[in-house]
Formats: sequence, structure tokens, C-alpha cells
Amino acid sequence: MFTDYFRIAFRSLANRRLRTYLTMIGIFIGIAAVVSLIGLGQGLRVAITSQFGILGTDILSVQASGVTFGGPPGSGAITPLTSDLADKIERINGVDIAFARYIDTGTLEFNDIQVIGFAASIPHGDERKVIEKMLNLKTEQGRLLRDDDTKAVLLGHDFTKDDMFGRGISSNDKVLIDGIQFRVVGIIEKKGSFMFDQGVFMNERTMIDILETDEDEVDVIAVKVKDEKQIEAVQERIENLLRKERDVDVGEEDFVVQSPQAMLESLDSTLFAIQLFITIIALISLLVGGIGIMNTMYTAVLERTKEIGIMKSIGARNSAIFALFFIESGFLGMVGGGVGILLGLTFAYGLAAIGRLALGSDLIQASIGFDLIFGALLFSFVLGTIFGVLPAVRASKLNPVDSLRQAK
Amino acid sequence: MNLDEIKYSLKNLAKRKLRSGLSILSILIGITAIFALVSFGLGIQLYMDTLAEEAGADKLYVQPKGAGMPGMDENFFLTQDDIDFVAKINGVKDITGAYFRAGELRFKKEVTYYFVFGMDLNELEFFMEGFNIDIIKGRGLKKGDMNKLVLGYNYQFEDKIFKRALKVGDKVELNGADFEVVGFYSEVGNPADDAQIYITLEAFEELYPEYIDQFGFVLLSAEKGVNPTELADKITDKLRKHRGEEEGKETFFVQSFEDIIKTFGDIINVLNGVLILIALISLIVASVNIMNTMYTAVLERTKEIGIMKAVGARNENILFIFVFESGMLGMLGGIIGVLLGYVVASIGGAVAAGAGYSLLQPAFPWYLIVGCILFSLMVGAGSGFLPAIRASKQKPVDSLRYE
Repeated sequence: MFTDYFRIAFRSLANRRLRTYLTMIGIFIGIAAVVSLIGLGQGLRVAITSQFGILGTDILSVQASGVTFGGPPGSGAITPLTSDLADKIERINGVDIAFARYIDTGTLEFNDIQVIGFAASIPHGDERKVIEKMLNLKTEQGRLLRDDDTKAVLLGHDFTKDDMFGRGISSNDKVLIDGIQFRVVGIIEKKGSFMFDQGVFMNERTMIDILETDEDEVDVIAVKVKDEKQIEAVQERIENLLRKERDVDVGEEDFVVQSPQAMLESLDSTLFAIQLFITIIALISLLVGGIGIMNTMYTAVLERTKEIGIMKSIGARNSAIFALFFIESGFLGMVGGGVGILLGLTFAYGLAAIGRLALGSDLIQASIGFDLIFGALLFSFVLGTIFGVLPAVRASKLNPVDSLRQAK
Repeated sequence: MNLDEIKYSLKNLAKRKLRSGLSILSILIGITAIFALVSFGLGIQLYMDTLAEEAGADKLYVQPKGAGMPGMDENFFLTQDDIDFVAKINGVKDITGAYFRAGELRFKKEVTYYFVFGMDLNELEFFMEGFNIDIIKGRGLKKGDMNKLVLGYNYQFEDKIFKRALKVGDKVELNGADFEVVGFYSEVGNPADDAQIYITLEAFEELYPEYIDQFGFVLLSAEKGVNPTELADKITDKLRKHRGEEEGKETFFVQSFEDIIKTFGDIINVLNGVLILIALISLIVASVNIMNTMYTAVLERTKEIGIMKAVGARNENILFIFVFESGMLGMLGGIIGVLLGYVVASIGGAVAAGAGYSLLQPAFPWYLIVGCILFSLMVGAGSGFLPAIRASKQKPVDSLRYE
């Protein structure tokens, strides 16, 4: 009985081949657009958020408030953090280690070409081991920095490429930083994140003594807590201490204590909003495809009025007629969706590959998971059935006597 | 082409109201989206054109390079000596340097962080002309105004920056020092610029003693008849030598206002273009729908076509009837789409203005309206072309036999 529904539905679709194809084309264009755009957007979001390397559920960062756009952490701060704060935070119950990080700007010259960029400090002693582990620093050439290094610098992987200075830098090369000669002790292995791959790292003392970075203007204080389950309590204790130190009331804080995750989430929500907007515009074409299904189904009902009359007069119930047309439109949606997903996958990965070649940026990635594929398939089926409901209802409610008479 | 054919086509459309309606619906959705998107693109273009005209295409900026936002990097800056030097270069008319730093503004327990400009009062008129701003409430800054400030447009309203609206005479704290609000500048149209804080050069030096003689921003204008782009090259060349820097290793850059607007316009156009492309996909689907409708119409009217041919209709007549029919579907979709697009874009513009982006306003020139309707007509007629050819090529004998 049930298989009969499917047989009749498929036969009538096969009878009107041209119309069936055109209707499905409408759906698969829409699905292909939505799948490829969501896939590309997802890939871009993953790529961008993975740029921000320091992740860990046991880490907090402390920064002075200020204008948060237009520069690296700490650059827009009004009342900078002082260097004694790191030690005071370290004494808080539950804090494993806390250390100051300096980020400064300057020029870097090699092969007679000069660029302007950031350098970040690496602390000395035990704290060095912690940050090396926290950032998972490993070298592909040379070695990491040591306590006795002065005028020494550790560079990211991108500096080994020829395009930045006309020729790649390798370890033991000499570079000029703010006009002062530095030795490259090592190159960090490629991480796929600009914070590392384009990073310039040097010892804290080198930065303060040689590049004259102000020791009392700390850009970020990195805090590692002892127990990640206690992170919220520790965060509160740090906030209390800073309020006292900086003499501000609750609600008037001129500093921010947050986890790297919290920072990422706010960035990700902006990216998500953009992705949503683009997806909505792409969804318009699916809506149009749905209207195409509705149109086709109304036409089918009209054409088969006589057939419906005959089926009803030999005992078909309203529900059976409804099921017949409902299956037909659902099938149109789902097959269109299936082809659309294949096309969307090809598009997304193809465009991402072309984009990477054309722009030379690893940021352009497509990421299509099973949830997206399954979701799109389900969505196209639902779309087909939703737009098939009205025509199917009309078909099921036809009066058998009228339908037999009305047909030519 | 004659009146009878047109009448016959229209009658057929009216007879299949539901199907015609759905076909029109499918095309109007896409036209609505495209009309709205293009109207925003044109609106921004218009905004930039007026900006270029009012603020003047003769303006140039000199800014220090640096990592991050130009002018914010404290290791790179311009000095009064640089400004005096540039002022003497042939072709430079007016020039003024401004200090530019992040600031902390407090008002009754609330705090916010925005940029503070230190303005040279001797060249205040020129500064305001360059930024296209005027005092709209209160007064501008005067010589000796040490603890007075002028605020950007958005401070006058509740919940835009502070929960409470500020007015002339209010007391605020800037970086911990007491200041009095003496006036407000007119609207620029984006939340960052409309939240800026303006003080005198002298007040700035007292507030930020460590940044004395470190200018983040120099505005200048070219003499009449001097090409701004050429002047930019000349200034780059001379200032480099003056600062003792090598070619390619400059720590400053010179940009004409025209270049900035062009760069900005190019970015906007690319972004808007991508959105329009995505919206165009829906028009392709709509065109497939119309094709489908027309194939069905041809099939249903096979016998009719046979009769028309039998009484002397030529292939062209049949072709015209069907192309006209689908073209009408497209045009009706286009007209309704333009109307809906107007509504959508107007609402979008109001929402953007509410969010502080009053520069994002749609524009509806006549050529956009006519263009959208014509385009939609062409999409309709184009999609009907294949079905119409099939109809026109039918053999009258076969068609008459068709049941």
C-alpha cells in the first residue's frame, strides 16, 4: 500500500520530465548557494579565530581599559598597568604564575628593506618555561631564547619567505631592529597564526634596556591559575585587587580581566552576524525555488484532476490523495537538495582553492561538516513538503463528481 | 506585433491567476533584494561624492606610519618642525597639525574610551573644513580654553555613548582632569567619528605631557591649480630628506583626500558587488521558474496553437505571444519588486541611522528604478524564449491532434 504511493508519485514525476528537472534545478541552485556560502563562511571563521594562538582553559589576561581597536593589546590604554602588579597578582590565592608582557612597535630591516611591526617580550627565568609551554613554542631552525641572550631575536615562520625582504631570513642572520643590530637565534615552526608566523620575540630585558620600552607600562599581564575549575573565583580576586590598587569602584573599572575564550567569543559573534546576513540573502534563492515547487504542484493537481476523480470514485481517501502529492513535492525538494549539496561542496572547496592561489592567504578555507550536509538535505525536504502542502490539500479536497466532470 | 496578440497574451495570464501570481512572486523577491542592495551602494557613492565636494578634493593628509592605526603608534610621529617644513613647500596652502590619542571620558560614574584631538586654534576653521564639521550647539574652543572641550555629535543623545545625554555646561572628567562641555560638533555619520573629543593644543599638552611635539595627524590643502597627487609625491620626497630617511624606509605617508575616498569606495563596491551577485542567484532560480511556467503553458495550449496556425498565424506571431507573456510576468515582478525594495531599503536606512551609521543611506535615482524594471522584463522575456520557440515550431497538424 505504502509503496504504491511512492510508485505513483515517481511515475507522475517521470511523465513530466522537463518540468520535474526545471523544478529541481531551482532547488539545487539555491541549496548549492547556501551550502557553499555557509561552508566558506564557517571555514573563514575557524581560520580567523584560530589566528589567536593562546588558548587554554586555565589562563586569564589582564589589560588596562582604553580604545580597543586600532592597535595591539595595551596600545590604546589610558592608565597603563604597572610592573609591580604582576607580582602582586601572583601572590593571590589560586594563581600559579603571573607575568608582564610588553608589546612594542618598531622597524625591522633586512636586505636593505624596512618594515614596521610589533615585537613581543619573553620573560626570564622560570616564567620563560611557562610561556614557552603556554604558547607551545618550538623552533624549526636554531633555538629558543635563553636568559643570557641580548640583542637576540626569535622570528616567526613567515620571515623565512622571500616575499617580505626579497630573500628569506634564516637563523644566525643579522637584522636591524630600530637601527640596532640583532642576531636571529631561531625560527619558530609554522603555526598558521599571524601571532606566531609573523611574530618577533625578544627577551624582556633586551626590550627594556636596548629598545627603551617603558618598564612601567605593561601591555598585558598573563595569569595561569592553579585549578581551572577555580578560574572564576580567581578572576574575582584579581579584580578586587586591581580595584584597590587602582582606586576605582565597582562598575567604574579601568581594566579588564578576561579569558582568551571570552575575547574570541566577541570576535566570533561579529563574524557570525556577517555570515548570517550573507546566508539570508542566499536563502532568498531557496525561497524562490520553493515557490517553483508550489507552482509545479498546483499545475500537477490541475492536470490530474480527472485522475484524482477516478481514484476517489474507486475508494481513495482524502489522506491518500494528500500523501500522493505530498510525497511528490518532498521528493522534488530532497533530490534537488542532494544534487545541490554535491554542487555546493564542489563550489566551496573549488572557490577556496582558487582564493588561496589568487590571494596567497591561508585564511580562505571551506569547512563543511556532516551537520551542514544533513541539515541542508533535511531542509530541502522540508522546503519541498511545505510548499507542497497547499497544492496537496487542494487535491485531496477535490469533489470526485466535479473532478470527473470538469476534466476535458 | 499587434493589439490582438497583446490582448490574447494578457487574457491568458489573467486566466491562470495562481500560476502567474507565483511566477511573479518568484521574480519580485530577487528584484526586491537587488534593488535594495544597489540603492545602498549608490547612496554611499553619493555620500562620498558630496563629502569630496564639501570637504574638498584639495585636501591632503600627512600621517606617521606605524603598526596598527596610523597616528596611534607612539614610536612614530611628526613634529612641529616637520609641519613648519611642509608649510614652506611650494603648492601647500593651509596646514595644521593635530594631536591624536586615546582618552578616558567620565560622566557621573560612567566611563568611555574614545579618541581625543588636540586642535591648533590658529587653524581651527581649516581643521573643521577638512573634517566637514561645524558647531551645532554651544560654542567652539577659544584661546585660553584650558578646561573646556567640544564633543562629537553622539554625546548629545541618551544611550548612544552614555546612558544620559550631555548638554552644554556639563562637567566631565577627561583622563582624570575636570573639563566643561562648551559645544557639540555636527554629525559625521559613523559612530567612531561622532564620539570624538576635541580640546585645544595647549590643553592636550597639559593632559599628555609625554606626547608633546608628537603629532599624529597633519592636514593640509593644495593651492588652486596644484594637483594633489603630484603634491603628495613632492611632499613625500622633500619630507623624507628633511627627516633623513632613505627612500622606501619612510616612517610617514602622504595621502590625498581623493585617494582615501577612492580606496574606501572600492572596498564598498566590492562588498556590495558580492552581495548583489548572491542576490542574482535568486533571479536565476526565478528565471527557471518562469521557463517552467511557460513550458507548461505551451503544453496546455498545444491545441490552441494548432488552431491559430490553421487559421493563418505565422511562427513569429506565436513566438511573440509567448515571449510577450513571459516578459509581462517579468515586468510585473519588477514593478512590485522595486516598490517592495524601496520599502525594505528605507527601513534598512532608518535602522542604520538609529545605530549611528547615518552615512549608510539608500539613494533611489530614476535610472535604478527604470533599470531594475527593464532588467526584470528582460529576464522574463529571456526565460520565455525557449518555450516560445518550441510553441512556434509546432506543426499545426500534430498540435490539432494533441489531446
